[in-house]
Amino acid sequence: MLIKLTGGCVYDPASGVDGKKQDIYIQDGRIVKKPAKDVPIDKDYDLKGKVVMSGAIDMHTHIGGGKGNIARTLLPEDHRQDPVARTSITRSGCGHAMPSTFVTGYRYAEMGYTAGFEPAVLPINARQAHMEMADIPILDKGGYVMLGSDDYLLRMLTAKKDQKAINDYVAWTIQSAKAIGVKVVNPGGINAFKFNQRKLDLDEQNSHYGVTPRDILRVLATAVKEIGVSHPLHVHGCNLGVPGNMQTTLDTIQGIGGLPMHLTHIQFHSYGTEGDFKFSSGAAQIAEAVNKNKNITIDVGQILFGQTVTASGDNMRQHANHKHASPNKWVTMDIECDAGCGVVPFKYKDQNFVNALQWAIGLETFLLVDDPWRIFLTTDHPNGAPFTSYPHLIRLLMDRSFRNDVLATIHPEAQKMTTLASITREYSLNEIAIMTRAGAAKLIGLKDRGGLSPGNFADITVYTENADRQRMFEKPDYVFKDGQLVVVDGKVVSTKWGTTHTVQPAFDPSVEKGLKDYFDRYLTMKLGNFKISDDEITEDGRSSLTVHPLKGVA
Amino acid sequence: MSALTFKLKQRPDQRVDMSPLVCHQLLGMEPLTIAAIELQCGKRKVRVDELFSLSGFDTQKIVIKNSFGKLDYIGKELSEGSITVEGDAGAYLGFGMKSGAIKVHGNVGLYAACEMKNGYLEIDGNAGDFLGAAQPGNKMGMKGGTILVKGNVGERAGDHMRRGNILIEGDAGDYCGSRMTAGTIAVMGKTGRFVGYAMRRGTLLLWNQPQLQASFNDCGAHTLAFLPILFASFKKYDSRFAETSAAFNRVRRFAGDMSELGRGEVLVRI
Repeated sequence: MLIKLTGGCVYDPASGVDGKKQDIYIQDGRIVKKPAKDVPIDKDYDLKGKVVMSGAIDMHTHIGGGKGNIARTLLPEDHRQDPVARTSITRSGCGHAMPSTFVTGYRYAEMGYTAGFEPAVLPINARQAHMEMADIPILDKGGYVMLGSDDYLLRMLTAKKDQKAINDYVAWTIQSAKAIGVKVVNPGGINAFKFNQRKLDLDEQNSHYGVTPRDILRVLATAVKEIGVSHPLHVHGCNLGVPGNMQTTLDTIQGIGGLPMHLTHIQFHSYGTEGDFKFSSGAAQIAEAVNKNKNITIDVGQILFGQTVTASGDNMRQHANHKHASPNKWVTMDIECDAGCGVVPFKYKDQNFVNALQWAIGLETFLLVDDPWRIFLTTDHPNGAPFTSYPHLIRLLMDRSFRNDVLATIHPEAQKMTTLASITREYSLNEIAIMTRAGAAKLIGLKDRGGLSPGNFADITVYTENADRQRMFEKPDYVFKDGQLVVVDGKVVSTKWGTTHTVQPAFDPSVEKGLKDYFDRYLTMKLGNFKISDDEITEDGRSSLTVHPLKGVA
Repeated sequence: MSALTFKLKQRPDQRVDMSPLVCHQLLGMEPLTIAAIELQCGKRKVRVDELFSLSGFDTQKIVIKNSFGKLDYIGKELSEGSITVEGDAGAYLGFGMKSGAIKVHGNVGLYAACEMKNGYLEIDGNAGDFLGAAQPGNKMGMKGGTILVKGNVGERAGDHMRRGNILIEGDAGDYCGSRMTAGTIAVMGKTGRFVGYAMRRGTLLLWNQPQLQASFNDCGAHTLAFLPILFASFKKYDSRFAETSAAFNRVRRFAGDMSELGRGEVLVRI
């Protein structure tokens, strides 16, 4: 079937198209060149006056893995208050802050998103994460495997194993867990928590292994680069949420020594200690460092006011934050010596000084970082806000007067502590398309996604131009996923299953020798069961695997 | 004015959500409008007059006749008036009720008086598990009011209870008063295992010596002046709790659960 999208205003930063009227042709799930004149068009969509972008990609969203289920179990009220009835084509579900899998897929698609990446896949729980994500309809998905606090790596570092051995271990773990990148959460800190350390600075040693977060970041960033994974090391740094952590973040940027590194939910890592409340914005300094260091990419982790739940692998920081739990219940746990987990429900309030300033810090970061190719739009769903608030966030970025109206309603002391009112920048549609599409695809290393030139998969979102950007982005006219029309007027009209994006970096097979002994001696699972086979993802007939090329490797 | 009466025509196979049929929701409604209300029955919606024959007008005085154990959510969030159930009631009877009175002549199912705020609930028969408890996952159960059960109750009576009275003339199942934060549960009959499991504060008043866990400390025998006052407050109920012979002031006191806050008490009549 040949589909033609006629006369839409196309924003395709991947091929440098910034708001140009263009026709797009779709055949067999891909975007194709303009066919010869005599080829009949099966379906023609008149898109005059519409805005056309590729399907949006959320490069950091917690949509799979055990912590989501812990959050769901912890917050039955979140699910009771937001029931979703089934229809003839969609399944029922529920949940506002942490929706059920099916509802997650529908709600993302209804906002024009066609892919989401789970940033914290614990290797030992990767199977569950993939199975959960396999239940998310329409979206493509993928995961970053979490390393850095696992006993095996820390033992290797203590034993001063060479970089080659670590590269093999990292590549083996990526392949075993079917991941597309590597994430490190509070490097070494999750582990240090279990040895009764309640904070761990960049240069502070883990009391048991004698390893510092700086060491861990350096060897992992090197490993990711040397084995050729496109997505730079995905870093959730030390001291999340601690006033003054801006300095830690700046040190982290310096300490990585020019290696590619992605700093995630940087809003939570950009705090100073000035002012009467000893809490201030470090966004300007962070943005300056990001602008200067081209090896650094960031996503913001914007908070938006309202009820949500924070779910993180960072048990150390979540334990410290449990005093703020609202409603008052929380979970912190170890996961199989490999990592940790902390789930703390949160209600961000605009009349709370700290929350209000966090809101402003996130927006300052967005507006002060110059290069939209190196900054990404996230709320760290569900930690800053549920992903359903993205259209509201886009309006805050694109509409200065709206932004200032909201700013005028937040805690007055927070208003005094932010430069937000004086920042005149407004994001353009092209910049939004970069942040949420082309840039994200490039960052993750997705081949044939995030663009609208011939050869790309036909993941396409069509919006009606509207000065109210929130309205515009919350209700796309059409969403195509792999060429199939899945959403019309912001409602799912058909469903399908996305693919799972992975990379397969090479490793020396002898790495399994040491690992096998380790698994037999210490872990609850045998090595053979730890590795996820392709069949496990594809055998249900609806999921598939897509392997993306490595960087600098043929 | 005569009581608004819903007489069940025949028992549906599926459970029925009765929550729309409460006094405050029906206030000022014409019988025809009430008859047209749709109730969820299993996965179907059915009109009230399909299930019940209606008579009477007084929406502040509701009677449900021929009731049986699949009629759930009777008296949900009741804030005024009274409901009388002739027969059994299903789960979540008096869910979150705020005021008024509910009387059931038969037995009731799970989660009766779940998260009840205030008012009076009287059950002639037995009650199921989780009487006066919190919804699954919530941390606050019954917050006020009085429940009187003339029969037996199931497990976990008063789970997460915070205030109010639960009076049980019969026996209580296992975990009676588990995770209580405050309030009073009185049991005339026997109690099951794990009485007061993880209770923080609150009072369990028992007629028979329970099998207590090791985390309750024996504090000896006492004569407590507040007990006659408490019994005097029961005088207004149609209950064995109101009889003069029921009252006593001499008890053995056990404090616990020491694995929690430990400020709860189990008082046993001696």
